[in-house]
Amino acid sequence: MVAIEADGLTRRFGDLLAVDDLDLAVDREVFGLLGPNGSGKTTTVLMLTTLLRPSAGTARVSGHDVVREAARVRERISYVPQDMAVDIKLTGRENVRFYAALYGVAGRDRVDEVLGLMDLADRADDLTGTYSGGMRRRLELAQALVHEPEVLFLDEPTLGLDVAGRRAIWDHIADLRRGGMTIFVTTHYMDEADQACDRVGVIARGRLVAIDAPAALRRRIGGERVVLRTDRPAPPVAVGGIRLVGREGDRSVYHADDAAAEVPALLAALSEEGVVVRGLEVSSPTLDDVFLALAGRQDEGGGFDYRSFRNMIRRRH
Amino acid sequence: MNAVLVYFLRDMRRWVRGRLNVWSALIMPAAWLIFVGLALPTRFTDSYLDFITPGILVLTMLSAGMQGGSSLIFDKILGFLNKFLALPSPRESILYGKILFITVRGLLQASVIMLLAVLLGATIFSPAQVGFSYLVLFVFGVLLSSFSTALALFVQDHDGYAAVNALLSMPLFFTSSALMPYDVMPAWLRAIARCNPVSWAIDLIRSFAAPPLPWTGFAALLLLAAAMVAASSLLFRRVTV
Repeated sequence: MVAIEADGLTRRFGDLLAVDDLDLAVDREVFGLLGPNGSGKTTTVLMLTTLLRPSAGTARVSGHDVVREAARVRERISYVPQDMAVDIKLTGRENVRFYAALYGVAGRDRVDEVLGLMDLADRADDLTGTYSGGMRRRLELAQALVHEPEVLFLDEPTLGLDVAGRRAIWDHIADLRRGGMTIFVTTHYMDEADQACDRVGVIARGRLVAIDAPAALRRRIGGERVVLRTDRPAPPVAVGGIRLVGREGDRSVYHADDAAAEVPALLAALSEEGVVVRGLEVSSPTLDDVFLALAGRQDEGGGFDYRSFRNMIRRRH
Repeated sequence: MNAVLVYFLRDMRRWVRGRLNVWSALIMPAAWLIFVGLALPTRFTDSYLDFITPGILVLTMLSAGMQGGSSLIFDKILGFLNKFLALPSPRESILYGKILFITVRGLLQASVIMLLAVLLGATIFSPAQVGFSYLVLFVFGVLLSSFSTALALFVQDHDGYAAVNALLSMPLFFTSSALMPYDVMPAWLRAIARCNPVSWAIDLIRSFAAPPLPWTGFAALLLLAAAMVAASSLLFRRVTV
């Protein structure tokens, strides 16, 4: 049995095709779903967690259909949305005990165990209003783990946390994975996905455009990344295997098949155009580059369709 | 433990720890009792306080019930609702827990107001009256809280909810039999007041001063409350799937 299986999963909101014919198989790994805002990440998670009905296609989580056997699915999963929703007027222990009661988990032991697991034992009886962002997130994980789920869905688990807080969350996720759990995360942070995920899927405009291990995706892009600082915006010259992929202020980003051989020709071509180069930097491609190449720039595409957006927000609640 | 009770206890804990909210909701009905109940010169009764107390008890429940939906709005906005919906316990228990919480909170507030009325000199006819008043207030509370939670499912933000609440609460109160008996009302107001469920609840509590009890009125209130619970369950199921 595969932990998460999606077959032709599709969701429409009016005219907007939020998720388009998604096929997916995830099992006993940390799987990261990456995509720009509005690309269909959250819609996908909502369908897999039985919170939203697919318009077409099917999905099975822990061996059960998310529509026909929704209650079974909910017994075996946990879902932590990005909102960071913990009751600040309750203590950490009360927050966890509340979920334990709803999951039908009896006894104090399990509550103490998950609090300890998330390093919250010594603050368990403080009101969570006094917790830091990282502690609240760990408390949410403790709540999510109280019934020993088979699949854990995390929507932007490190959003708004400081560096130490993020590292702690990813360390905990790695521990859970070693314990045999399947973890499905969405994230914006490419460097984190690169380090923490066994495999990542890139989703753009509702379509899954690539799915592989982060290193394999980086290799797929191949070549190197060349960043030039110039005195004025560099014209899009193409020399050999080098091409312009993006500009940020006075920095122009190029992709080169073989930087050592091609950069001198590029510099020569630019100086012919009268562009003065002030700095040069060559690096291997990061997951960011993969992402940009596959998903395009975030602000690309048509204008903001307010009606579809409102529709989507309404359906979510 | 039953999931309805778990959700209920969560809301109760949060409410009691809010401290300020616990007392601020009592100010308006207390002000009505003191500044209107004790002060208004009336010709139709010797003790206006006795007359108005049932109306203020129902008013307490009316404002508690109508305002209660905001608790669901916040759960929706802050992301709690989505987390709860992903839990294996029956989804309707979220709704029933809310209805129970809003109603019980209203009953607790009404108890304080009842105590205040007695301290101010209102007459209690029998322990049975108190018991029956609680029963009526409970049914009335269930009616209102099912309505306000259903409303909360459709309103997008708290401002919108507060606006609808203000639009409904005051007219419902002023067009009821809370402030004057039917025979001194102008004919047009009497017609409205007779159809207003707020009057039904008030008349039931007031009927102890002049028996017999109007059981048909109680049946009507009960039926309306049951219908409202059914309607809000249906809407809740439709919105959350």
